[in-house]
Amino acid sequence: MTYTKPLPQINPDTKDFWEGCRSHLLQIQKCSECEKPRWLSSFMCPYCLSTNTRLFNSSGRGKVYSFVVYHVAYHPSFKDDLPYVVALVDMEEGFRLLTNIIGCAPEEVHCDMEVEISWDDVTKDVSLPKFRPVVRIHP
Amino acid sequence: MLEAGLCNYVLITYGHNARSGDSMKKLLFAMSGDDAIFGHFGATAGYAMAARRAMHEFKTGPQTWKQIAVGQRKWANLNPRAMMYKQTMSDRDYDTAPRVVEPFGLYDNCLISDGGRACIVTTLERARDLRHPPVTLMGLGMDNPSADLTRADYLAGPTGARRAGRQALKMAGITLEDIDACQIYDCFTYTVEITLQDYGFFQPGEGCDWLRGGTIEPGGSMPVNTSGGLLSEAYQMGMTPLTEGVMQLMGRCEERQLGPQTKTRNPEIILCSDNGGILQSHACYILRRV
Repeated sequence: MTYTKPLPQINPDTKDFWEGCRSHLLQIQKCSECEKPRWLSSFMCPYCLSTNTRLFNSSGRGKVYSFVVYHVAYHPSFKDDLPYVVALVDMEEGFRLLTNIIGCAPEEVHCDMEVEISWDDVTKDVSLPKFRPVVRIHP
Repeated sequence: MLEAGLCNYVLITYGHNARSGDSMKKLLFAMSGDDAIFGHFGATAGYAMAARRAMHEFKTGPQTWKQIAVGQRKWANLNPRAMMYKQTMSDRDYDTAPRVVEPFGLYDNCLISDGGRACIVTTLERARDLRHPPVTLMGLGMDNPSADLTRADYLAGPTGARRAGRQALKMAGITLEDIDACQIYDCFTYTVEITLQDYGFFQPGEGCDWLRGGTIEPGGSMPVNTSGGLLSEAYQMGMTPLTEGVMQLMGRCEERQLGPQTKTRNPEIILCSDNGGILQSHACYILRRV
């Protein structure tokens, strides 16, 4: 089945990030001067303007900073997903990213909920980092 | 420029066929960028994200926002220019409205409108010779906290309104006690709450109590968005609060005119706001009748 949702517009800044995703690695930029991680990627550090950058692999664990529940499809390809959750997740390493929370009902999502990465291989070249609740006890 | 004599009159103008054309929808869609991958589009969701965090941090929510939506609608019902002039809104209408992007329902959103606005700025000396009574700018403040939402920690306040509000009051040499009414940029109900809260009208989370009893409505002690605002009059960017503030002080608002006929104070000083992005930039300005 053809994937009809919008795909990332990959550019030289974001190429490393999306290549990491393809291998199921959350590969994040960190400034080598001020040591602050950042997402999305950019050639220059937005905090200290240094262009000296390295990559690190995130643990893929974080907490929901905030989230919304869509009841309207602004793009027809999301109609079958309604209601769905878009969230900002604060990652353990100190950066925040935009994502979907999956694997639970929208009404179960709450701010500060612990979540972990769950890769969604949407095409043969693109995998999206989505998040699901951390399950602490396996019955 | 006016004081330096570089020009005599400045026209601030805005016009948009946002409702009958598709340019507003295209603009909002284009703004999404790679957020669209995750189904994240437009301004409603961005502000809903801020509002959700605020619910978590200081226990606000639809019970607070309802008083803003319903209160402003009462002003729109006095304004023949308002898109919602003939449509009343009850608490039940608000409660039962379709969900759009939770925590927002339909009536937490502003309108999309065709229309235009204009305002002329000149020196006080010249203004005194014109047809309408002059309105002066007493104070102005601006603050732009962040360009990037993934680095924003102010979605639940303090937003740019905190610093911009303080600057404007300081420049005007007044306190909130001196304000007779407010025209707040109200792209969403929550925007009104967080803006008034950051200006200092109430403590975080106390908005629900502050609004109770019709504080911002006709007859209230602090009228807010007396044209109906972006929520119930028309979306004309920051021109909706600006022109309403000026016209109220000029006494040109007919049925909705602040003063005895709407059981409110005769307005001498009106505080107005504008904001951009998802609470990323803010302007506060204070107008005075002379």
